Amino acid sequence: MSTPARRRLMRDFKKLQEDPPAGVSGAPTEDNILIWNAVIFGPHDTPFEDGTFKLTIRFTEDYPNKPPAVRFVSKMFHPNVYADGGICLDILQNRWSPTYDVSAILTSIQSLLDEPNPNSPANSLAAQLYQQNKREYEKKVSAIVEESWMNE
Amino acid sequence: MKVTIQKWIGVASWKWQVNDDNCGICRMPFDSCCPECKLPGDDCTIVWGECSHCFHVHCILKWLQSQNYQDQTCPMCRQSWKFKTH
Repeated sequence: MSTPARRRLMRDFKKLQEDPPAGVSGAPTEDNILIWNAVIFGPHDTPFEDGTFKLTIRFTEDYPNKPPAVRFVSKMFHPNVYADGGICLDILQNRWSPTYDVSAILTSIQSLLDEPNPNSPANSLAAQLYQQNKREYEKKVSAIVEESWMNE
Repeated sequence: MKVTIQKWIGVASWKWQVNDDNCGICRMPFDSCCPECKLPGDDCTIVWGECSHCFHVHCILKWLQSQNYQDQTCPMCRQSWKFKTH
């Protein structure tokens, strides 16, 4: 079945393969193009370096007019990531634009890792440590970086 | 010498005059149509906003309809969307 959302996702996938952005990858699941698995590699020179963070992206038939639901599957410790992996990022909510694609979504989340927005905390401990105790923050982040290599 | 034309076949080509190759919403080429249509041309035209960004008419209408009235912005520059008339 080909719908506008599915056709757009095929183009997103083609673009991701032909012009892959550094440090992110993603692909639709085998039996449902509306559900994708993705990986974001922790950016260099950040506490997240060397982490391999897995995510799921769930689209609806309203894509690209409505944003997908993006969630970390790997454990995350970040001011803007909820305990269930949900991400608080304006472009995935009220600042969504139908010109975004999977590549833009993944690179935005990748840059969010090292540029948290402590004003809209989803994890209050992470937000507090980020602002008041960088050392402890970085320790907590290294723990989830190491955890990201397990449960393959 | 007298030439009698017995038959002729006219062929014309056309192209949209746009800055971009693809519609930013559906990512289909402007010379093709939006994903809902079968044929490019008058049935699936391109429209411009006053901000000068352009999209397939069906793509921008679907976006505007999915937004509240006060949030009807250009997907490219977020300025309030107004169709350019000329």
